[in-house]
Amino acid sequence: MKAKEFNIKWGMVIDLDKCTGCGACMTACQVENNIAPMVDSSNKLRTLSWMLVFEMSNKKPCPDAEIAYLPRPCMQCGNPACVPVCPVVATDKNEEGGIVSQIYPRCIGCRYCMAACPYHARYFNWEDPIFPKGMEKALSPSTSTRPRGVVEKCNFCHTRLQNAKDKVRMEGGNPEALPDGAYMPACSEVCPTGAITFGDLKNPEHKVHELAKSENAFRLLEKLGLAPQVYYMSKREWVRKLGDNYAATGKPGAEKKHS
Amino acid sequence: MGLDRRGFVKFVVGGVAGTLFTPVIWQSLDDVSIWSQNWPWIPRLNKGEVKSTAALSKLCPAGCAVKVKTLGGLPYAAIGNTANPMSKGGVCPVCAGGAQLMYSPARVASPMKKVGEGKFEAIKWEDAEAMLVEKLTAVKGQEGKLAVISGDETGSANDVFSAFAAGMGSTGFYMMPGEMLTATKGVKLMGGNGQPGFDIAGADFVLMIGADALDSWGATVANQKAFAATRPTGGAATAQFVYAGPVLNNTASVSDKWVAVTPTGASAFALGLANLLIAAGAVSSAPDFADYKALAAKFTPEAVEAAAGVKAEVLKDLAAKLKAAKAPLVIAGASFGQGAGAVDFCAAASLNVLLGRVNVTGGMTVLPTAPKALAAAIGRESALDAGSFLSAVATGKATPAVLMVYEANPAFALPQAGEMAKSLGNIAFKVSFSTYMDETAAMADLILPAPHPYERFDDAMNPYGVAKPTYLAGKPVVKKPVADCKDPVDVLLAAAGKLGVSLGFETYADVIKAKASAVGADLDTLTAGGAWTSDGKGGNLSLGAAALAKVAPAAADPKTLAVAPVTRQAFGSGSLATPPANLLIVREDELTGKDLVVRMNAATAKAAGVTQGAKVKLTAGSGELKARISVNEGVAAGTVAVPMGFGRSAWDEFTKGKGDNVYKILTVSDEAGTGLKVWAGSTVTVAKG
Ligand code: SF4
Ligand code: SF4
Repeated sequence: MKAKEFNIKWGMVIDLDKCTGCGACMTACQVENNIAPMVDSSNKLRTLSWMLVFEMSNKKPCPDAEIAYLPRPCMQCGNPACVPVCPVVATDKNEEGGIVSQIYPRCIGCRYCMAACPYHARYFNWEDPIFPKGMEKALSPSTSTRPRGVVEKCNFCHTRLQNAKDKVRMEGGNPEALPDGAYMPACSEVCPTGAITFGDLKNPEHKVHELAKSENAFRLLEKLGLAPQVYYMSKREWVRKLGDNYAATGKPGAEKKHS
Repeated sequence: MGLDRRGFVKFVVGGVAGTLFTPVIWQSLDDVSIWSQNWPWIPRLNKGEVKSTAALSKLCPAGCAVKVKTLGGLPYAAIGNTANPMSKGGVCPVCAGGAQLMYSPARVASPMKKVGEGKFEAIKWEDAEAMLVEKLTAVKGQEGKLAVISGDETGSANDVFSAFAAGMGSTGFYMMPGEMLTATKGVKLMGGNGQPGFDIAGADFVLMIGADALDSWGATVANQKAFAATRPTGGAATAQFVYAGPVLNNTASVSDKWVAVTPTGASAFALGLANLLIAAGAVSSAPDFADYKALAAKFTPEAVEAAAGVKAEVLKDLAAKLKAAKAPLVIAGASFGQGAGAVDFCAAASLNVLLGRVNVTGGMTVLPTAPKALAAAIGRESALDAGSFLSAVATGKATPAVLMVYEANPAFALPQAGEMAKSLGNIAFKVSFSTYMDETAAMADLILPAPHPYERFDDAMNPYGVAKPTYLAGKPVVKKPVADCKDPVDVLLAAAGKLGVSLGFETYADVIKAKASAVGADLDTLTAGGAWTSDGKGGNLSLGAAALAKVAPAAADPKTLAVAPVTRQAFGSGSLATPPANLLIVREDELTGKDLVVRMNAATAKAAGVTQGAKVKLTAGSGELKARISVNEGVAAGTVAVPMGFGRSAWDEFTKGKGDNVYKILTVSDEAGTGLKVWAGSTVTVAKG
């Protein structure tokens, strides 16, 4: 299958040698996207984590053990496995920029897309969102809340893209050629080490354009051919290898744990 | 994709032409906004003007300088403040959810008085304040009858509380344990005066002994920014980082190397490095160099291997790297931010003296004493520790009648937590100034709710670890607090007036104004999100040889395991339970269901006779902790790594009853030579359970 091409391709290059695994990106994501906190968050089959930081290990015994943290948003795949399986076209990759949409009101909750996504980037609402009393006053205006029965996932903080375009348009600029940094998802913005570089992979003026081509850059499950718009980079060979080996087994969880 | 670079340029430019003024219709999002009206039972979004306001978010111990995004005046998100020289646009995982913490279900809604075991009754502020004044009147002028415990290391509130205690005729002002307290005492042992700082940004080789500097130690976001600056994405690293400590923690994960040092081995490890450096020609003009040299000579690589579990070649390699570096820096700290001794600090910090790295760019600094807002206030150098105080209460040596607790949670966050809570119980009248219903508030006789950081004036003088004198201040973001709360300092100042204790201020805002002018900072610049820094430096340091003579490698008892508590900023602190949003960050090998998960390496697990997933009891003295085992190679030999911050008995449904509290199995001993209480060397026995 050939990846869908767009003139603009929003993407990330996540520097795993800088990610300390602090989790600020996960918190900022929940805040931006109005994900209600869950009383039993240790039940990872029920939680909603659009952004999830995994811990990877080189599997060597102490004292040679090493670990690395890998933040995993939705990869906004060029060939998304999730899109063709949706019976009601509730998810699509049809917009400039290449962000894979998720249209909650159309979603019938069949969860085929969840089964199809090899990155486990999709989550099902088993319950309606319940915010502790008063906390709904701190809802972000960016994202509507989702009811029980629908699937949701990261959309690169899509409202921020609209806002960035509006701003540029108001200032008389070109909304189809946003300057580097004008649009940034919440995770990338909050990260205290700047591990997540975000931009248009096709725009040579954006940092990600070159970074994605660096010799240390790789994509998860590259072999599956989903052509993710999220790249990772690490100088550590075992980290890069694990990104590929993951594809070999097709079994997540064998080498990784949730963070 | 078959396009070379020039092809890309053409492609992009060609694609853009013609769409310049055409607003793109984002159909999917339109759909959402129209269709979501069909779900009336789930929360609707609020409307209003979006603004962002600078704030000082002291939810994490160091405080993050953030911008709070508000919608119609109500906070909903916190982002970094790129203009602030400390945080530089970064936010820690706790402060990132600051707006949600305003509405935490654990917030104390109004003043409350205890009416029975675990029972409280809401009362009016005027009654609460009258009760406070009445109880304080009864102890006025009696030494030893009034005590204050503060858990805020940086705020001018400490000036007010300590000056108030002095005005009441009491010397009982105590701080919760932390690096600030220990390190300041360590600096004294090295002939200096003031708190130490570490210039990570200027160093090219950073050895962190114990200090979890990139996640939970010191001014973490500033440290992370300094680290990140040396690792330009896609470029060559300009500094090396090495973490030496018992656990392969978040800091170690991004360091160039993790050196597994046992929890009691840090001092021997540091002196072993000193030995090798001196053998390689290092000399110091410090007056005690000869003594230091003789002392270090005892810490041969073999001795270090026995005491710290570090192989000789690893030690030699590290010493060579320190020697070769142009601007090496050694950061001294306890692996969980507390519980180590002043001598331990001295052992690691002395390497900076030996390497000539004190008061230089990229080195260790000693900050000059910070000005006080009130003359009668107790400075950081003379602060006493809350743990020793409560131990004295337990043995009847101290007999306070009134205890005021400010931003602290001694019932949860002190070693031998069970006994500490018991000795708190012995104090007749306890007042907790707290934003949240923590374990100490739950034991208090009177709870006076404090505002959330977005609802109050506050400041931060020299957050621990900063290399230069640094001062930050913040003012309220919101017009009205969510709870019926009052600023603790305002309450105290009003009480002081009624008690005839003259402190010279009426509000905390005035105190901060005075502090800013004593410092020479412009308060408006600070509250707009700026920071004040200066280049002032303290004096020289010795190698601390006299104190270091007391370092004796502890002999490990093969029947016990050393405890390495593991801190993560995301999990909160002693005075803040894990925020609801951050529970998602907790991994299965930290908490599974309601079980705490402790980690040990395969060899240790085998020797202890436990396997993956096994339920165990860790016991030390009368303290017992229940957990499950996770076999993990990121833990030093003979050590059990225990996540810190769990096992809450108060707070809310999100944290209460989840996991167990590691403080229960930390045991206190006296540090040889300083008399300081230490608990970094705690050991436990493991039994199946
Ligand atoms: S915020 Fe940055 S450093 Fe922290 S976990 Fe996320 S990507 Fe990693
Ligand atoms: S990561 Fe998963 S959900 Fe996201 S586009 Fe790819 S297949 Fe779809």
